[in-house]
Amino acid sequence: MITFTSFPSTPAGEYDAVGHHHETDNEMEVDLDDDDLSSDGLRLTLPGDYLTSSQAFMRGHGTYVHEDQVVASVAGTVERVNKLITVRAIRTRYNPEVGDLVVGRITEVQPRRWKVDANSRQDAVLMLSSVNLPGGVQRRKLESDELQMRNFFEEGDLLVAEVQAFFSDGAMSLHTRSLKYGKLRNGQLVIIPPILVRRLKSHFITLPCGVDLILGLNGYIWVSRHIKASDQAGEEGFDAEAVYSNQNDDIDEPTRGAIARVANIIHVLAAHFVPLTDTILLEAYEWSVEQEEAHKGLFQEDIAEALVASLHSRS
Amino acid sequence: MISLSKAEKSYIQAGILAQPPHRSDGRALHDFRTVALETGVAPLANGSARLTIGRSLRGGGGTEVLAATKLEVEDVKAGGVDGGRVVCSVTCSPAAYPHLSSGALEDLQYDMTTIVNQTLSHPSLHPSNLGIVKGQKSWLLNLDLIVLSDAGNVYDALFMAARAALWDTKVPRTRSIEYKAAAANRSTGGMEIDDASGLDTRQQPSIADFELHDFWDEGEPLEGREAWPVSVTLNLISPMYYLDASAQEEAATPLRLLLAFSFLPSGACLQGTRVLGIGELDAKTVKQGIEDGEKYAREVYTALNSKLKDEDVRRNQKASHRFARR
Repeated sequence: MITFTSFPSTPAGEYDAVGHHHETDNEMEVDLDDDDLSSDGLRLTLPGDYLTSSQAFMRGHGTYVHEDQVVASVAGTVERVNKLITVRAIRTRYNPEVGDLVVGRITEVQPRRWKVDANSRQDAVLMLSSVNLPGGVQRRKLESDELQMRNFFEEGDLLVAEVQAFFSDGAMSLHTRSLKYGKLRNGQLVIIPPILVRRLKSHFITLPCGVDLILGLNGYIWVSRHIKASDQAGEEGFDAEAVYSNQNDDIDEPTRGAIARVANIIHVLAAHFVPLTDTILLEAYEWSVEQEEAHKGLFQEDIAEALVASLHSRS
Repeated sequence: MISLSKAEKSYIQAGILAQPPHRSDGRALHDFRTVALETGVAPLANGSARLTIGRSLRGGGGTEVLAATKLEVEDVKAGGVDGGRVVCSVTCSPAAYPHLSSGALEDLQYDMTTIVNQTLSHPSLHPSNLGIVKGQKSWLLNLDLIVLSDAGNVYDALFMAARAALWDTKVPRTRSIEYKAAAANRSTGGMEIDDASGLDTRQQPSIADFELHDFWDEGEPLEGREAWPVSVTLNLISPMYYLDASAQEEAATPLRLLLAFSFLPSGACLQGTRVLGIGELDAKTVKQGIEDGEKYAREVYTALNSKLKDEDVRRNQKASHRFARR
């Protein structure tokens, strides 16, 4: 089955249709008083917006000075700390902070370390000394471990880790020294803009439809089959040997459907710029199950609009 | 091709092989993502089209291809071909493949160019109205395709965009003219005898050059534009296959069978095949694949044709609207 659609009419085309009035529109002045930069008022900027005088304020990230004015260089929200003006960009790479939970993909195996793509400006580093090796937390790292690093992680592998520290060049160092962290399997990855992932109490979310979610703060989201509470890390059913396994468990058909549905919901929410939380995901999932007949877990544009509209009406 | 972990690959493969099959975005095995198409996007080209597969209106993403044709006058004596020729080339934007080095990108472009060019410039598809002056001048049809982003199934996108651009192509009308010496030079019989000597340079065929018709439209469509092929890529995870793979699914699929069909009133005609990827393929699978591929290609062909006709209507309306406002 194949369907063709048209592109949405471009603003330029609409412009053509109404005629040429652009001289009047451009006259809008953007003026900013001291009060507008107070921390409570959220202010959006476009690149090139004048923010304030450079005499009274200092320019920070996302701004530059032009003719004694601080000018935004990115689209985002204005933030002020004392006399420092910064603009936090909406579309940006992930800015790591120590303690963040991230999902990453191994790009390179190097002596005693792995390089990890975590949607940041530089590849993150995972040292051999900051992973748990099979056979106990207290095990010493041997020379033979260095030689068989690809048995633990190889190129392309996905893992969940925590930001441990930063190197002097700003690259982040990760660690997986918890049984909750490690290699990922039984599911699929969804990538969204990092700004849409809020800091939550827990980034390991279980939805009642038998789907586990790991919301990486870097915008990488792992959607996978639910692991029973008795089989989770630290419980008696936990299989310590399977930590570095590449083998998926058997996944039944309803679970596969649920994983695909959750992944599609996340894509839709990201396209409409809705920040992700567990409650929003749950509401969206319930809504989509109610509408089952209409779309079978697929989201065409009109159904996506309806989903987002129903979320806005509930909140 | 993007990198995937072994667990992700086996998750995708197991989903395809499951009963009933499950794809990672919930589509059925033989469903395409939404395809958006617009013709006439490049004002300076003789025909052009822009095509995306799987792009959401607000979220972006998806595969995007731009195709444009340009006609060029070529001298047959200086390397041209009598009756005109078709040359296709594919360029990949580095932004579409950020993980590839420039060398690898060139290899990829070369592969795509070869497949598209060999299929579309085949003599069986040659448009008959590319000649201008027999034995002297002809049109060189350059078809240029640009891959702006690749989220899987780029070959189908290339062929669909190429068909749309070629459908849209208008060949300018030409009229042959000949030079005649002014009557004064031919006044004496003696001169005419001189003309017949071996030194004469005016002994040419009567038609010497051409001029462009000044007419209200841009020209005539290419002859036989119905025949331009569409392709389907069968992604094989033995014994199943599926259509329109996403980038992740492509990375998890060992073998792809590309089939290009053209549909004429007399029936379907297989214009080109390629096996992409590593892995083995037996004759039975190929035979079955060609049979089924024809069915899916016909669906693509029918949908694309009706979309192209819609586009023609839309552009005519837009043009008359513009004209009315003047």
